[in-house]
Formats: sequence, structure tokens, C-alpha cells
Amino acid sequence: MKRAIPVLAVVLLFAAPLVVKNPFFLDLGIVVLMWATLGIAWNLLGGYAGQVSFGHAAFYGVGAYATMILYLRLGIAPWYGIVLGGLIGALISVPIGYLCFRLRGPYFSLATLAVAEIMRLVATNWDSLTAGPMGLLITHLPPVNFFGTPINWERKEPFFYLMAVIAVATVLAALYLTRSRLGAYLAAIRENEDAAESIGIDTTRAKVVTLAVSAFFTATAGGFYALYYRYLDPDAVFPISLSIETVFIAVVGGLGTVAGPILGAVFLTTFAELFREHFAAGHLIFYGLCMMLVIRFLPDGIWGRAARWLARRKEKAHGAA
Amino acid sequence: MALLELQNVSRRFGGLSAVDNLSFSVAPGEILGLIGPNGAGKTTVFNLITGFIPPSGGDIRFDGKPIAGLKPHAVARRGVARTFQIVKPFPHLSTLENVVLAALVRNASRAEAVAEAERTLELVGLSNRLHTPAADLTYANQKRMEIARALATAPKLLLLDEPMGGLNSHEVDGACVLVERIRASGVTIVLVEHVMKAIMRISHRIVVMNQGQKIAEGTPAQIVQNDAVIAAYFGKRRA
Repeated sequence: MKRAIPVLAVVLLFAAPLVVKNPFFLDLGIVVLMWATLGIAWNLLGGYAGQVSFGHAAFYGVGAYATMILYLRLGIAPWYGIVLGGLIGALISVPIGYLCFRLRGPYFSLATLAVAEIMRLVATNWDSLTAGPMGLLITHLPPVNFFGTPINWERKEPFFYLMAVIAVATVLAALYLTRSRLGAYLAAIRENEDAAESIGIDTTRAKVVTLAVSAFFTATAGGFYALYYRYLDPDAVFPISLSIETVFIAVVGGLGTVAGPILGAVFLTTFAELFREHFAAGHLIFYGLCMMLVIRFLPDGIWGRAARWLARRKEKAHGAA
Repeated sequence: MALLELQNVSRRFGGLSAVDNLSFSVAPGEILGLIGPNGAGKTTVFNLITGFIPPSGGDIRFDGKPIAGLKPHAVARRGVARTFQIVKPFPHLSTLENVVLAALVRNASRAEAVAEAERTLELVGLSNRLHTPAADLTYANQKRMEIARALATAPKLLLLDEPMGGLNSHEVDGACVLVERIRASGVTIVLVEHVMKAIMRISHRIVVMNQGQKIAEGTPAQIVQNDAVIAAYFGKRRA
């Protein structure tokens, strides 16, 4: 029964485009899945290991640019480019990690923010590679057949399925990682780093490995962005706001849980898209308001509170039986 | 051969010599007391041995191999465990989980780690607090939990930083028995402590520090009569 719920959710997710034909709702679904992916990936480091990064846009942007440049320069189809972009994101996260993890707490957070800004400036100024502020454009996507049927890239459905695969892969990786030995080490690091070292945990290595996994999925989402919108520039894929909104989604949904960022993404992104209809940056006011309410009334986030409520109900049911 | 050997170890913080040219060794199976007035550098010595602070100079050997400059986790994996003067539990995790984590690091399976954790928690007398979050334990119990956590790493050498701080007289007696039991199980112990009655009772040898330097070394009986020690604690006797 308990195992049936996630399986059912995945089935419903993949069946959704068969029922939902309205492009607005499909687009909303794609955006929600992308933010859920970003939230889950960020949460591995921010929620489980307690290392709050304000710079995940660095990996998102690198993934997006890598996917784009691999296609435009080397002709590598973007669906492979997304995975390669993820790997490149993971690769650059290693030196960034060794550098930033020398710092703790707020100093770490500020260092990551600085790294993301540096990446944005590099992308803005490295004209020969990135075309600078002009940005890069995919004019047409190569044809591809899916079991004999040519895929129509003008429709939303193929993108929905692609993003759904990325999101489900992220969830599975997060579930695996947090239940592994590394997951236990991350809890120790979050709780007290000195104590974690004192019992023999290589805290730097654990954090660097986790950052690499987190960066991989973040960069993958960035690669998807490049493919979906077919255009990017430095401000579009390296914005500070992306780093911050990712944090919001994890905190509002529930730090240190896999389900939390999914709920956070559904809740925040849906409202944000509705706000966007009326006034441009209005969703940020809404995010800020949600953040304040959650910190004040639901410090473990929406899912954290819901999980505790469910556990208590189950306990009561057991007591009554 | 000595299990732990410090040779001319120094640590300067800017112009201050927190530890100055310190040498001493610890024999296997020994309980060594490390005492001195506040600010003598005792906790810094622990931080130097366990890698939390790299030494400015000198040599530290454990089991004959140099360990100075290693990261704390690397020192821990070689068999040096410690507790902290100001406790550092994993506050939101249960008492059991705090200790399980320490056992898990040694590649034990989860089941083995839990068994090991339950065993060490029983040794320190916390069997009835397994599922209490560490943050909710009394301070004295948090100190016990830290000892259990350190033991769960299966150390050869255990560094205890004021394990009896804040304990009442009855609890100090219990702690003395515990330390002796740990030693009897084959773990060598270095003990920083201000509770004199405890340190005099259980130490085989005592090293006395003052202002970063070693001012005396010997058996408890020798130390209580040492003029330099008396001067450091009470000031110079008026002639």
C-alpha cells in the first residue's frame, strides 16, 4: 500500500499528457517538474547536509550552456547534450566544492553566491564561446524517431515526458543517496561537523560528492531549459533569483525530505505562474510572503508538518487497535 | 614502545604560544592525567593530537607513525577518539543514532553498528535513554553519550576532555569507575580534568602544564608535593 502511492504517482505523471491537451497546463507541468528537480537536487546539500548554497544557478547555467554549445558547435544532439551537460556541471562542482567547503555556515553560502556571479560574468564576457550577452539560439532541432514515430518538437508533450524522466531520475537518486551510508554521514555533518570528523567521517569528501550529485541534476535541468526554450543568455540561466527561488522551494516544501521540494514546487510554481499573468515579478512577493509564513508557522515546511501529522495519526490508529 | 608520543610540539596563535615545546608520551594501557590551571593549553593539546588544529612545530606520533597535520577524520580512523570539553552531540538525532553513526564509519553493517552502539551505551549507563534526542539529555548524560560515541569508533587511545565537569560528587565516583573499566577493556586513556580527587585517584601518571609548557610529570604522589605545581596553582610560597 505504502509503496503503491509513489508508483501510482509516476503512472499518473506519465499518463497526464494523454488527458491534458491544453498547452498552458502542459507548460505549467513542465515548469513544476523542473523546479521540483532543482529543489530536490539543492535539498541534498542544503537540507540533508545543512550546507545552504545560494549559488546553484552556477550549475544550472553551466548545464544550459554546455548543452547549447555541444549542439551548436559539435552537433551533439541536445538529448545527449543534457546528460553531458549534467556531467560537466558535476565536474566543475568538484573544484568549486573544495574551495567553498573551506568555509562554514553563512560564509559558505556567500561564497557559493559569489561563484554563481563569477560564472555569469564569465558567460557574459567570453564572447568566442558563449556569444556574450547576445546569447545563443537553436534555430532547429534535429529530427528524432521514438520507436518509429517521428517526434514533433513543436508540441509540448515530448518536453513534458523528457522533463518527467529527469525529475523521476532525480527523485530515485535522492532516495538512494539519502538512505545510503553517505546519507547517514550527511545527517552527522548537518548536526555537528566537528563531531562528525571526530568519529572518522571525511566531511569534506562527503560534501563534495553530494555537491557533485546535486550539481549533476541541477545542470541537467539547465540543459533541459536550453532545449525547451531554444534560446539562452547569461542573465537567463545564471540569475541570482534562480538560486534563491530554489532555496524557497526546498524550505517551503520541507528541508531534508525528498517529497518536500516536490510539494514546494507544485505549490509555489503554480501560484507564481498565475501571478505572472497579472504582473511580472509579482510571484516574488508571493514567495517572500510564503517564506515568512512557513518560517513562522511551519518550520519543517509543508511536507515536514504533514509527515508528522500522518505519523501521529498512524500511532493513534495503532493505539486504538 | 609508546602508543602516543609528542616531541617538542608547539602551537602559536599570533604572538601567543598556546603550547610551547611540549613533549610527553603515553604508554599502552596507561591512564595519563593532563592537568594545569585554566588557559594552560590542555584542550589545545587535544586539538593538536586529533588534528583539529595543525601544530606550528614538533612531531606527534601514534603507534610509531607521524600523525601531525592529518585531518581529524584521518586521526580518528587510526584509532584516536575524543570527547569535547563543551559537548558536541548530534542534537536532533536520538542517543542511539549518535553512537550508531560512529560505529557505521568502521564499515560495520547497520545491524552490527546498532549492536555496538547498544553495548557502549550500556557501558556508560544510558540504556534507558536510547530513543531520547541527544539535545534532551542532561549535560552529564550528554558527556556520557560522547564517551559511548567515542568508544563506538573502537579506539586504541581515548582522549577525555573534562568528562567530570559539572558532575556531583556521587557522579564523579561513577565516572572514575567507568574510566577504569574502559581502560580494563584495553583502551589507553588521556584525561584532562579539573576534579582533583578523580584525577589523583585514577591516573597512573600526571603531566602538569602551565602557560603552554610542561612544568612537571610524575605519579600522583609526586605531583602533589611538586613545588612548581603548587606555585602554578596557588602562587609562590612566601619565603
